[in-house]
Amino acid sequence: MPDLDGVTAYRRDEADAVATCVLDDLTLLYHHRSGQTHMVISPVPEILERMADGAPVTVQAMHDRLARDYDLGPVDDAVVEIGVHLDALVALGLVRPA
Amino acid sequence: MKHAITLRIGPATFRIGSAWRQPIADLARLYAAYPDMGGAIADFTVRLQPTSLARRWVRPSIFITGDHGLADAAPMSLAHGLLAAEMGMNLQMALGWRRHLLLHASSVEKDGRVLVMTGESGSGKSTLAALLGERGWRFMGDEFALLDMDSGAILPFPRLVSLKNRAIEVVTQAVGDARMGPLLAATAKGDIRHMVPRTDAVARMGDGGMPALLLFPRFGHDAAVRPLGQGEIFMRLTQASTNYVALGEAAFTALTRFVAHVPARAIDFPTGDDAIAMVDRLWEELA
Amino acid sequence: MSAVLLVRTLRDPASVGVLDADGWNRLLAAARAERLIGTLAYRLEGVALPDAVRPILGDARRDSGREAQQALWEADRAAQALRGLDVKLVLLKGAAYVAADLRAGQGRFIGDLDILVPRDAMPAVEAALIVAGWEWVKEDPYDDAYYRQWMHELPPMIHVDRDRMIDVHHTILPLTARQTPDATAMIADAVHIIDGLYILSVEDRIVHSVAHMLADGDMQGGLRNLWDIYCLLPDADPAALAARATRHGVAAHVRQARRLAGAVYGAGARLTLWDRLVRARLLARDGWGRESRKLLVFAFFVRSHWLRMPPLMLARHLLTKWRKGHRPQ
Repeated sequence: MPDLDGVTAYRRDEADAVATCVLDDLTLLYHHRSGQTHMVISPVPEILERMADGAPVTVQAMHDRLARDYDLGPVDDAVVEIGVHLDALVALGLVRPA
Repeated sequence: MKHAITLRIGPATFRIGSAWRQPIADLARLYAAYPDMGGAIADFTVRLQPTSLARRWVRPSIFITGDHGLADAAPMSLAHGLLAAEMGMNLQMALGWRRHLLLHASSVEKDGRVLVMTGESGSGKSTLAALLGERGWRFMGDEFALLDMDSGAILPFPRLVSLKNRAIEVVTQAVGDARMGPLLAATAKGDIRHMVPRTDAVARMGDGGMPALLLFPRFGHDAAVRPLGQGEIFMRLTQASTNYVALGEAAFTALTRFVAHVPARAIDFPTGDDAIAMVDRLWEELA
Repeated sequence: MSAVLLVRTLRDPASVGVLDADGWNRLLAAARAERLIGTLAYRLEGVALPDAVRPILGDARRDSGREAQQALWEADRAAQALRGLDVKLVLLKGAAYVAADLRAGQGRFIGDLDILVPRDAMPAVEAALIVAGWEWVKEDPYDDAYYRQWMHELPPMIHVDRDRMIDVHHTILPLTARQTPDATAMIADAVHIIDGLYILSVEDRIVHSVAHMLADGDMQGGLRNLWDIYCLLPDADPAALAARATRHGVAAHVRQARRLAGAVYGAGARLTLWDRLVRARLLARDGWGRESRKLLVFAFFVRSHWLRMPPLMLARHLLTKWRKGHRPQ
């Protein structure tokens, strides 16, 4: 894992586009730039979808975007979990620190 | 090199050179019914060469290499020269073939539709394909199934069938001695004997078919049939493919389409006869 | 000699018109053995080819495209890992050529990612790479100590998830070598290309490639290195290159590389006796892709170690290697 201390916002780069395929309850992502296939489950596809515009987004803002469509439970727990997912996506190279 | 032969198997042409006569003579005899490719431009070069100059004569030891090779490949005894040649061809396919998605699987065809069987060495996929090939199916291959990324069809790669240990007797009884190669005793994988596919399997080695059923066979267990999730099937097929990564997005698209459209089951079986009964039943139900 | 056929084809692509099937088989085997099949595929674009050859070269082109993409991705990952260190990350060899879209990168085989960083930044770079998922390739303690004490790079590291190697260099020749290129000057003059990545200046690129091939190597992969040099040379001003080579202590090697590149891939050049031996070594490849002229090849293996190490150390090193069963290929 890269050192992410101090990362406050995240963004998706146009160059990091993925092809997606849903199989049962899994989503497969093919990342053109790295040639890697990733197998992910909710809420990862939902997070990526909400970053499609390429604009920087904070963990809190991502929480708020997701909360419009899903019941995420207690805010603090959900924010931590979303932060962990975003950092994991940075490690894979699908998302970049803004 | 001193001894050489050019063979075509399915879509691939191999130029095989050897420092010794015997492996090439074995290939010439067992591949006699295959197209004569002498003087053709080959997709791959395979070399069976001495591990050192002295090893050409004294306790001859074969190093298998070619266009694609592994630096740490274990040397083989000259007595197992035929196996070395087969492994050399497999190595080129596994590391170098790019025109289809390569699945480490056996395959047989009936009525234009294909049954694909994938599993580790010892799963029984080779034996099962060999036996089905004698019972009304067309044998397409025991080692690699080639998935055409444009059409989704499976294409044959009907090289000699490599049979190990107990499977040797079972298959020899079914096909007779004339279609069997020399017994290669005590290789790294036990006793090995090669079987020549039926002439119709060789004559039609350019004809593919659409996949209709995928099985994950496992020999040596009580009979059982299990469904698998699509995610698991996808994972197992990427692990069973040596060129999935190299082929990039085309492979991703072709393999996800395969997984989404082809019904799949894992089957455990105690004997070949049980397995054939299970295959017939599942083919009826699902394909 | 099929390597002769290979260099003739790279020099004059239209010359394949006279090849029969045997000629093609020899050409393809030599090109694969020298890891120049992708380069060959690019050179033969637009030339009429037999039906059986077209898909082979198409596959080679696709493979080199994927390798370029993967090299750029590894470079991106390294840049990401070193973010915040304030270290200039200089790409070397294949990754540099494709990142800068140089002719030398077209169809080039690319293995590990090679990067150059300042020597005093090595500990921080090493730590940052480990945090980002790279780990030491399992080596024995002798090799590890050897690398750290005498070589121009860290022992190779491999990424735990992506299975790709990175070689981190702090200079371009082993510390034991007789020549001592000025790595600090190379890094200072490196050129920015994309996303925080740098490549060496036009002259230094050539100096590095030459140092790698003639001052360091046992000539394994020498034809490919020489092709790189041949493609890089037209970008440099000859006087500036000569001055730079002198500064790095490899002037004679750069002159030799110019002669060899001209003789092997270009319009010809006058060769010295030593040049001819090197050329014979470079072209030692038969129609099955095997290295021929074993004695000559072995002499160069010994020589490459001689160049890097004082004689006593060489004896010790070869002994340690041979006890482990290592033999030159």
